[in-house]
Amino acid sequence: MSSPAFLTDLTVTPHNEDAVTLDGVSAGYGEGPVLTDLSLRIHCGKLVGLLGPNGAGKTTVLRIAMGLLVPTAGQVAVLGRRLDSATDRSWVRLRIGYVPQVQAPPALPITVADSVLLGRWGCSFRFLRRPSREDRALVRETLGLVGMGELAARDLAALSGGQRQRAALARALARRPRLLLMDEPTTYLDQEAQRDLVQLIERLHAQLNITTVVVTHGREAGWRFDREIHLTNGGAA
Amino acid sequence: MSALIDMLAIPVIRNAFIGMLVAGATLSTLGVVIVSLHLMALRFTLMHVGLLGAAAGMSLGFSATAGAFVLVPVASVMMGMLGQRFRISASSMTGFFMTGSLAGAFLLLARAGVPAMDVFGIFAGNILMLRRLDVVLVVVLGLAVVLAFVIGYREIQAVLLDRDLALSLGVPVQAVVAGLFLLLGAAVALALRLVGALLVDAIILLPGMAALRFARGFGSALVLSSVFGVIACAGGFLVAVRFNLPIGASSAAVSSAILGLSAVVTRGR
Repeated sequence: MSSPAFLTDLTVTPHNEDAVTLDGVSAGYGEGPVLTDLSLRIHCGKLVGLLGPNGAGKTTVLRIAMGLLVPTAGQVAVLGRRLDSATDRSWVRLRIGYVPQVQAPPALPITVADSVLLGRWGCSFRFLRRPSREDRALVRETLGLVGMGELAARDLAALSGGQRQRAALARALARRPRLLLMDEPTTYLDQEAQRDLVQLIERLHAQLNITTVVVTHGREAGWRFDREIHLTNGGAA
Repeated sequence: MSALIDMLAIPVIRNAFIGMLVAGATLSTLGVVIVSLHLMALRFTLMHVGLLGAAAGMSLGFSATAGAFVLVPVASVMMGMLGQRFRISASSMTGFFMTGSLAGAFLLLARAGVPAMDVFGIFAGNILMLRRLDVVLVVVLGLAVVLAFVIGYREIQAVLLDRDLALSLGVPVQAVVAGLFLLLGAAVALALRLVGALLVDAIILLPGMAALRFARGFGSALVLSSVFGVIACAGGFLVAVRFNLPIGASSAAVSSAILGLSAVVTRGR
């Protein structure tokens, strides 16, 4: 398990601001809007489920919060900062950890530790600046936190889907995020791996108090969210 | 050995050897990019675009290399940009460029009445015609490739691992991909000159494929592809000189043998 010093660094101090605020947001990808006049608030420190059927706009909400998609109408604020410019969107991306769906084994050979190290990109290293010893220590700590410490030197492609998702979670945590966004993290996993991952995420949320938003189709994986937001036809309920 | 040293004293042979050696050591690393980004069809398309560029160069009375060198990087960047801009799938884009380029190349060559031997030169390469300027171009491009991997190691690694993930981290994915496409295009154009359109893969793809069978990380994949590239190019060169064979074909044969052996050695992994 990780050292107390690291946990102190990673744990988010509770505060009152909203983690994500969407106010009258409309957005799409060019073939008609996916979201229309959507308003929602996600409070800091909560474990929130973003539920809904395919095409409801769940992933679109995450892309907007990450600053990867600019809405056609409405206002967005993340961690107290309005996303009005490219600078704002870059600022917020440094403070967000993102866990995608289970990916196919990568064609690129990469160790688990190196894949987690990428989570530090932009935070402490980028072009021409190499990762520091602190970065590597953080990678070891986060891998320990998700129970993957012994697999640090393994090729990512050789892991099971559940283990790759744990590595993705470690990568997101290595960013020392204030907001964790997860896009259907348990999809394509078998039931046991789903249950393990959900329990890990819930335990880490309780331990670190990082606001966590999980996109999911439903409650089949046994999630116990603090709050559920149901998206239907581009609106929230 | 002394016979080889004597041969390398001849400028034409020396240029060819240096060109192959540098290309093998540097351009071969792009094979890791091709495989990781699933660009097999793209690099095949670039070879056809290179043919069009070479045909245009010969038809218009300037060098085939210059034509390929201009057209291939332009086409590779265009494909990347058009695909993202108009959301056209990579396979549709490559199909369009491949067929159009081949048709254009044959029409140009027929219209200009280019001799059959010159046309054969485009397909099979003619490395002994390499001039000093060509060698300088290979060295400059080789350095550019190495520099790109040194400067943007983590950024390229993130893009090759998962483009969406790289975007979420804030990596300038479009710039990285455009840069890689540009280098790939230039490498294909130069490799056309070295080994011909039909054997570009001997330098650019096969060493990378062999390296990926052994490598445990991105860095080791790059180093191994470089080592295999040197063995293929230098080994092919030496075999060709020793047995009076075409250099391009000899290098391609050695490159294929390396990939075959690596498949055998790593079977079951």
